[in-house]
Amino acid sequence: MAQHLIRPILFLALIVSGQSAPFGIDLRGRPIGHLNLPDTRVVVLFFASSDCPISNRYIPEILRLRQEFAAQHVVFWWVFPNPEDTPEIAQEHQRQFSVDGNTIIDIGQTLVRLAHVTATPESAVFVVSGDSLREAYHGRVDDRYLSLGQERTRPIRHDLEEAISNALHGKPISRPTTTPVGCSIVPLAAAQ
Amino acid sequence: MLSPSKAASFYAGAALFAIAASSFVQYRLPVGVPIAAAKEDPTRSAETVLTSTQGTPAHQALPVATWDHDIAPLLYAKCTSCHHPGGAGPFSLLSYEDARRWAPQILKVTQSRFMPPWLPEPGYGDFAGSRRLSDKELELIKSWVAAGTPMGNTEDAPAPPSYPSQWTLGQPDLVLTVEEPYRLAPGGEDVFHNFILPYPLRITHYIRALEILPSVPSIVHHANILIDRTAEFRRQHPLDWKQGIAGMELTVDAGDSFDPDGHFLFWKPDTPVVIEPAGMPWRLGPGNDLILNTHLKPSGKSENIQAEIGLYFADSPPTQMPMLLELDRDDALDIPAGRSNFTVEDEMTLPVDVQVLGIYPHAHYLGKEMQCWAILPDGKKEWLIWIRNWDIDRQSVYSYKRPVLLTKGTVVHMRFTYDNSNMNPHNPHDPPVRVKAGNRSEDEMAHLWLQVLPANPQKEHQPDPRLLLEEMWMRSRLRKMPNDYISLYNLGTALAGEGKTSAAADIFRKILRAKPDDGRSWNALGTVTESMGDWKQAQEIYKKAAAIEPENCDARFNLARLDLRQDLPSEAETSFRALLGSCPDDPDVRNGLGLALLAREQYAPAQTEFLRALTLNPSGALALDLHEHLAFAYVQTGRLDDAISQLREAVNLARADPAPHSLLAQVLAQAGQLHEAIEEEKSALRLNNKDAEGWNSLAVYEARSGDKEAARQGFEQALRIDPNNLRARANLSHLIEKR
Repeated sequence: MAQHLIRPILFLALIVSGQSAPFGIDLRGRPIGHLNLPDTRVVVLFFASSDCPISNRYIPEILRLRQEFAAQHVVFWWVFPNPEDTPEIAQEHQRQFSVDGNTIIDIGQTLVRLAHVTATPESAVFVVSGDSLREAYHGRVDDRYLSLGQERTRPIRHDLEEAISNALHGKPISRPTTTPVGCSIVPLAAAQ
Repeated sequence: MLSPSKAASFYAGAALFAIAASSFVQYRLPVGVPIAAAKEDPTRSAETVLTSTQGTPAHQALPVATWDHDIAPLLYAKCTSCHHPGGAGPFSLLSYEDARRWAPQILKVTQSRFMPPWLPEPGYGDFAGSRRLSDKELELIKSWVAAGTPMGNTEDAPAPPSYPSQWTLGQPDLVLTVEEPYRLAPGGEDVFHNFILPYPLRITHYIRALEILPSVPSIVHHANILIDRTAEFRRQHPLDWKQGIAGMELTVDAGDSFDPDGHFLFWKPDTPVVIEPAGMPWRLGPGNDLILNTHLKPSGKSENIQAEIGLYFADSPPTQMPMLLELDRDDALDIPAGRSNFTVEDEMTLPVDVQVLGIYPHAHYLGKEMQCWAILPDGKKEWLIWIRNWDIDRQSVYSYKRPVLLTKGTVVHMRFTYDNSNMNPHNPHDPPVRVKAGNRSEDEMAHLWLQVLPANPQKEHQPDPRLLLEEMWMRSRLRKMPNDYISLYNLGTALAGEGKTSAAADIFRKILRAKPDDGRSWNALGTVTESMGDWKQAQEIYKKAAAIEPENCDARFNLARLDLRQDLPSEAETSFRALLGSCPDDPDVRNGLGLALLAREQYAPAQTEFLRALTLNPSGALALDLHEHLAFAYVQTGRLDDAISQLREAVNLARADPAPHSLLAQVLAQAGQLHEAIEEEKSALRLNNKDAEGWNSLAVYEARSGDKEAARQGFEQALRIDPNNLRARANLSHLIEKR
């Protein structure tokens, strides 16, 4: 049952091989070739943008989740997919928001396509399976925002947290995709 | 709430004032309250700009909008006041590149009417500064995004507006800064925090405009400013007031004079400057605090906020006194869990004609629909506001383009609906729970405030129309909450102000039966008793009040005043001096001390006290008295020119009052300026030509200036009005003998 709900496996490692910057570049402009360490069980991508207020408001929640799952071999990545978010801008943004850790500038929007995301903030959860990653969840972090302008005082469903937890325990994820609320990811062409 | 303004006004509007001090001066409030005219210049409104744009042939021919021609003017009129660099909006929309970057969001949030923020339904109240986009404008945006956000012909492009990074109106006359920065956590729920800003000057000013620089504009969602007349809130938090006090709603004491809150001091990012209409500045003086009640939204990073308030002083005191009235059904709020359409209603019947200047509805997270309408005496229905989808995050004060006239007998209705089901995304409880009224954000409120201006000037020998409004308002509250202390107290003081002393005494006795240790009500009962003529009993009552609340200045003030009244100036002086320890900035105490000194013929020290009182209270009935007292003291020391200038100030304060003219005429005559004295006395007689004494005085000045014929006519006129006026009769005989 669980397997039916999980999205098709993405052989990221295969797609990646031979490319110079398969997953984009880091804040110093160096290509990133791997999203997981040898003992990683789950990879979480958080798609962010420096100028989207809702994306920024989720930073504390992502930091909380990263801490919560720190001992369970979960790797978190901050992914900046928008063309305006250059390494310099992203670095300044991470400094302002006191964010450390893994950051990717998704210069080719490869991760956007692989994770099937459309907005910031949006999250994606991948389960490490041998040499490959398979996507178990993508969508909102939680249901605090129902739409632009419709906001709860606090969330009721913590979708990302549940997805990570279930992925770690091999349990089914009740909603493997949810609709994010935030700012559309800017297509590469539009910014050129 | 912020409704601090409202909550604030709750008390402040429902002025808890001790008549003690004011009984020294019996409600000589400024006369003449002309109607405020609409200040809107329709040619400058955003609507007009947009209409002209839309009306162009290009748009009519083909609805493909371009940035230069259609979108830039629209964004500049309705969006960029927040969406500019450094503004409250999260990103700028000033350039084509900006707008193209955000086009998908612009489309989404405008079609859903999330942006621009504007809750009132069109056609139900005609409000100034509406940001609502028309259907045509929505179509323009849609077609622009659908066409791939074309730029158009750059020659058409309007210049982007510029926004000052500092004070919009230039350097303020006074800047108040929050004492200590406040650190807002990066995440979590919204925060409601109150910053206290004491007024530091020793002179009263009238404020014509204010601006808030929040220091981090993007996180201050909105703010309300309350005037804490007695700094009570600060005294309640002696140790931590500098950091500010958490809380959504609060009430403050309105102080000891009838000066009900008349202004919505409501600030939101898209209207950074709160400018009062001409003639309607608000008072701020020594001993007052401003409380900045803020709604803060965490941004994702830790923020340090240290807001500044810029104040702009008016040149002169208000000539028009609006008042805030509240419809309120908190008493009926008991919303069952899961109920999606819980409704409460309230109404009030206006005792006088008023002009409604603005409206401010307020609920918390369960509020859904809000309606307010008036039924005029002729049966006509006038809508004041309709909000279909309330959202506390977008609450606002709304000002009418033109004041709405509601005549005496009009019934104003309020109807609020609440959704306490889990279908309401704002519901703070999951699962829903039973919710009642309260000050916390998870409680509810049902408040609707109207800013009204009495439509007709106060008539001679008639009470201030605001007192009648206050009486009506308090009676309306008491119908819902028969034993509400504040309503009873304020009703008593309103009745006393109207001269209905016996009814007022009944109210205060009713309070005291329930709260026998309420010093404030004992003191109020004392003043009513005194004004009914029984000063000995009043003195006993004041003593009781002073014994219950030794720190309260009012009862001790009234006792000192009675000493003065009984011709015991030494005792009075001692008492007033003792009072200065507790309330050094109370102008009534300074005035009382000055009068005691006058009675002891200590004219120079008396002058000092009156001058000090005038800096504390430069307008209104007390100021009028102070100018007259000061003039008297100057006359005693031979300073006639100074006396004359004081009386000229008095004349300016109360142009419709003949008394200051007559006093001025006397001093002018004493200074030998007979011609001017005659003119001044004539001014007094134009205001009241039935004053026999006035005619007699005029005739005396005429006689002294040598015009015996005019003098004769004056004495005769005095005797026609009052055949028994012995002075005029003697003067006339004397005049005839000399001939």
